[in-house]
Amino acid sequence: MVEKITAYRFERLDETLSQLNREDCAIIAGGTDVMVLHKSRRGVPPKIPKPIVFINHLSELKQVYQHHKDLHIGACCTYSELLENPLIPFALKNAIKTIAAPAIRNRGTLGGNICNASPAGDMLPLLYVYNAKLLLRSVNGNRMVTISDFIQGPRRVQRFHNEIVTEIILPSVLEDSHVVFEKVGNRNADSIAKVSFAGSIRISKDRIDDIRFAFGAVGPTIVRSVDIEKKLVGKTIPLDGADIAAIGSAFDKIIRPIDDQRSTAAYRKTVALHLLRYFLSMKQYQPN
Amino acid sequence: MIKFTLNGRTVETDAPATARLLDLLRDEFELIGTKEGCGEGECGACSVFVNNLLQNSCLIPIGSIAGADIQTIEGIIETEQFKILDESYSIAGGVQCGYCIPGMIMASAALLSKNPHPSEDEIREGISGNLCRCTGYNMIVEAINLAAKKGDGLW
Repeated sequence: MVEKITAYRFERLDETLSQLNREDCAIIAGGTDVMVLHKSRRGVPPKIPKPIVFINHLSELKQVYQHHKDLHIGACCTYSELLENPLIPFALKNAIKTIAAPAIRNRGTLGGNICNASPAGDMLPLLYVYNAKLLLRSVNGNRMVTISDFIQGPRRVQRFHNEIVTEIILPSVLEDSHVVFEKVGNRNADSIAKVSFAGSIRISKDRIDDIRFAFGAVGPTIVRSVDIEKKLVGKTIPLDGADIAAIGSAFDKIIRPIDDQRSTAAYRKTVALHLLRYFLSMKQYQPN
Repeated sequence: MIKFTLNGRTVETDAPATARLLDLLRDEFELIGTKEGCGEGECGACSVFVNNLLQNSCLIPIGSIAGADIQTIEGIIETEQFKILDESYSIAGGVQCGYCIPGMIMASAALLSKNPHPSEDEIREGISGNLCRCTGYNMIVEAINLAAKKGDGLW
């Protein structure tokens, strides 16, 4: 007897939201994570324990637009679509180019990467640095939440079953900042990060005006500390060795990676701190 | 019932919406040129075109492709572009065991149709999602470079 699978693919977002309000469903955007997570043996469909709702064809979830200073990115934009969109900042595009490979970038979505909430999620460190907010919609209306409040742990997000993440909002595109994203993995393409790092720095008259950094794959969620960042505001560039060492040891205390099949805790911590020190030791910073 | 276009023909299937496009192609439509390697989107052996975009068919639940235009290696075999790639891969010695080749050809065609004169780095980036355990890639890179020259104006 073939197992019955219920799946929905509505033409409009409002119909999709009504269905989600009636029933707890698994939402599939690109499917690049969920199809692997529930993978079965060859020839057997993945076993997904809930009814399915497909959303990646919904045009309402693919808009990119500027509203005042905020950049709104539709949650179902694929990485390739973002690479081709003139509104997406260069720093974000440079990071996207290092993610996966062309075939996955044609399928994987920004919203999917966030909702999958992998500690190693490639887009997450930069989105934390951008102070990204998420717009969630349900039949009851809209709700806005910061990305750091939304992601609560590995594969755990603060989403009610009747909601869809419809937009990712960047309150500022950091156009005056030098923004970096570094990812360490076994292979350039298609690898899951052992460690990742994102940083941004804005300099005004040789002094640090704004500085942010975030680490991926070194804890259950992305590690960022606004308190540590604040210690560097107002300092002169290039930073002196003592300041860099102090920031390194502050992060040494809060970065707690684990051993797993991809890497070891010791390697992850060492490399994460090296990436931080490298970023802080640069002699010059240029807006991207 | 899910309806879509497969190599230019309208087809339909009553397979479950979560079935992988890869399995459907191989088992139901007997298009066995598309291969399964890792089954996790890391090797590119199952690459096909979905609405002219290169994608991994092992990651595609068929419910998401209703109405889409799917092309497999069998669907491009009669094209001039395929003939150039076929010839170039032969001349450059780009094929050894052959398992990755349908996916490599799809990735090569996708790259050249977007960028008809790629640099070596762009070629390597274009096939970065495709693993080959025989050639060490250099002959494949050469094959694509050759195809770009031979097929100048075709893509």
